[in-house]
Amino acid sequence: MKRSSLIIALLLAFAPAFAQAPVRTENLIYSVLAYNGRDYSPTFARTASPAVFLIAGVDNFLTVRKTLVYFWPLTGEWKTNMDALNVPIDGVLEITDRWGSSIRVIPSRYTYYNERGEYELNWKVAQDAEADRVWAHWSAILGAYEAAMKDYRDRLAKEQDARASLIVRIQRLRNEGGDVTALVDQLSNMKEPEAPQPPQDYVVPPAEIQQAFIVNLSAGDYTLRFKSFDGSILEGSEKRLVVHQRRRSGGIGYEVIPGDRWTRPVDSATPSAVLYVDGSSDLYLRPYVEDEYNDLYYAKTIRNDARGNPNLMKWERIQQIPRAGIELTGGGAGKSMIREEPWFVEQAQGATLGYRIVPFDPQGAQKGKEPSLIAFRVTPGQGSAVTGLRTVDSSGGPLPGSERQIRVIAPPAAEPVLPLLALAPLGAMALVLVRRARRYRRS
Amino acid sequence: MSGRARAARVIAKRQVFEALVSPGLYIALVAGLFLGYALVSGFARAVDSSGFNPQLRPLYDIIGRGLEGAFGKTFVDALFAEGPLPFAFSVSFAPVFLYIAVSSVFKFGLEKNAGAVELVAYGPADGTSYLIASYVKDLLLSLFSILVLLAFMVAAAALYNYLAGPELFVAAVVAFFLSLALLAYGSLASMLTVNASSSLALFLGIIAFLLVVLFGSFAIVGEYVRTLSTVIARAVQWVSPFFYGNLSLRANAAGDPLGFVGGLALLAVLAVVILTASHFIISARGVRA
Repeated sequence: MKRSSLIIALLLAFAPAFAQAPVRTENLIYSVLAYNGRDYSPTFARTASPAVFLIAGVDNFLTVRKTLVYFWPLTGEWKTNMDALNVPIDGVLEITDRWGSSIRVIPSRYTYYNERGEYELNWKVAQDAEADRVWAHWSAILGAYEAAMKDYRDRLAKEQDARASLIVRIQRLRNEGGDVTALVDQLSNMKEPEAPQPPQDYVVPPAEIQQAFIVNLSAGDYTLRFKSFDGSILEGSEKRLVVHQRRRSGGIGYEVIPGDRWTRPVDSATPSAVLYVDGSSDLYLRPYVEDEYNDLYYAKTIRNDARGNPNLMKWERIQQIPRAGIELTGGGAGKSMIREEPWFVEQAQGATLGYRIVPFDPQGAQKGKEPSLIAFRVTPGQGSAVTGLRTVDSSGGPLPGSERQIRVIAPPAAEPVLPLLALAPLGAMALVLVRRARRYRRS
Repeated sequence: MSGRARAARVIAKRQVFEALVSPGLYIALVAGLFLGYALVSGFARAVDSSGFNPQLRPLYDIIGRGLEGAFGKTFVDALFAEGPLPFAFSVSFAPVFLYIAVSSVFKFGLEKNAGAVELVAYGPADGTSYLIASYVKDLLLSLFSILVLLAFMVAAAALYNYLAGPELFVAAVVAFFLSLALLAYGSLASMLTVNASSSLALFLGIIAFLLVVLFGSFAIVGEYVRTLSTVIARAVQWVSPFFYGNLSLRANAAGDPLGFVGGLALLAVLAVVILTASHFIISARGVRA
């Protein structure tokens, strides 16, 4: 007993030593805020990383700094520990193209933001004085909103105090047997002050002003290195800079949400793709505009240590299509147009696990709630095993590349026909051999 | 028609007849068709309410994991975008083509060794006409097999409600043009070596090398493997039928019909170049083993 207790105590004492702590090493990194076609992705290229990947023709932000990096095996990613070490390094970025001509980039003060518009894509970058102006404008908006909020909270507190004292007065009067009608009317006529709306000017407000190298290049292969102000090249800073561009743009993809597993949407991105389903559930579709990029380059633009295939292109979701419609064909009813509708996901009642998706009713059952999803509902296999669909824009014109088919698949009753067909060459062989044997016998 | 062409036609006719009355091609076709059947029927069982889910079927789970691990998710998505038929067709055609090519290379080597080719060359035919005849026979058998497999896939599409769409037919066309160049390599291997087994070894070695280089340049598992393969591929791509086949498929995926046809034309040119080389070798070395 004593021995086993001792062993357990020893094991517990050494337990922290057995835990695998990732090894953190000091690295010179390029910290990259890369534009990915729809917004900005933060990533970094550690010393061992051979290249930095950026999209052509847009502003990307690079800084050079010393920090600790470590590999996180749970997600298979390299991470930084900037809390422990984060030393930005001053200098000049030198970018050389394949013909040997170099440009030098000096750090700029900048901010970036996404203005509210019809589309999600309204990213803007402001530098130096313009950045100050944008930041001051945002600070003023934010200040005004905060002041309005403070005023609202004060008015709300006053209103709640007044309401509480009125309730006390009503109760007291009621206890004394007095007439409370006037006071009750006064209570029911009391209105809560209206909360101020948060600023609507930006989808993503301007970031706090920072300093970085702003890199905006045409597509190509470059060499990147960092020079300190004394002209010496920082060791480990030389890398390949791959600036790539989309191959095609304006494709139409669909986010497909099956009714029985709405948390696991799938994408139908390739224009030639067919959606095969078993037809057991409705589908909720959300069409979007997509651009086609090199698989590896795009993956590495988003995350520098990502994997990808340099020989393949991939469609990437860029933005939703506003006020679109979906035209359905098949089912014997000719063409029909469906529109985007709000839907609400509610838990199934009773002992059954699961949920169901119902039309969102803001005045009824779902009053005061937000819709769970806004999408086009399609019921596959209704009257036909093939449903054709295409997206039309707000003016009713079909969007090229949006054509898809939804096919309901099930192992057919006549399935044994197929292995019999597969055996047909053996039948043909037997026929040939028999005929040949007969001819031999005859001759 | 020249004497050589007439001789080649007569020999090819005879060889096609021999191939059709022997059981090998039929058995290879049945093997290919059963592979195709396993894939198309497995796909139907790997579909749920949200679409194709390879994890639902062990066969597709293994295929999906293997392909995704080696070449990435984008590769798998593109492979099954239209459905299972282009993939099933390609997998079905592989053993049939291998049978046609291997049996032809081996037979040519055996006939050369046994002096059969020499015997024919004493008559109105020469080594080149025998080479062309053998090549044409392989090509016709490949075309016949492609048509049989295509018919099977169309029947499967009708039965399971799959789309027998453009990708399937593109796969069939590319398979035929790939056969053009690969079979030419078979002829070259037969010309370069002295006996059947060394012809076979050389032919399979060439195919395996070119395939490894192709798959290596697609691999995502290791950057080193891919870089090495890409460097080797740059050196050998000009003589690799798989490179031109891939060029065609990529052009097709990019919606570039000119690039697609260009890739096929390059495959045909490569076949002609290899066959010309084979012709010069057989002319210089003679038909004796």
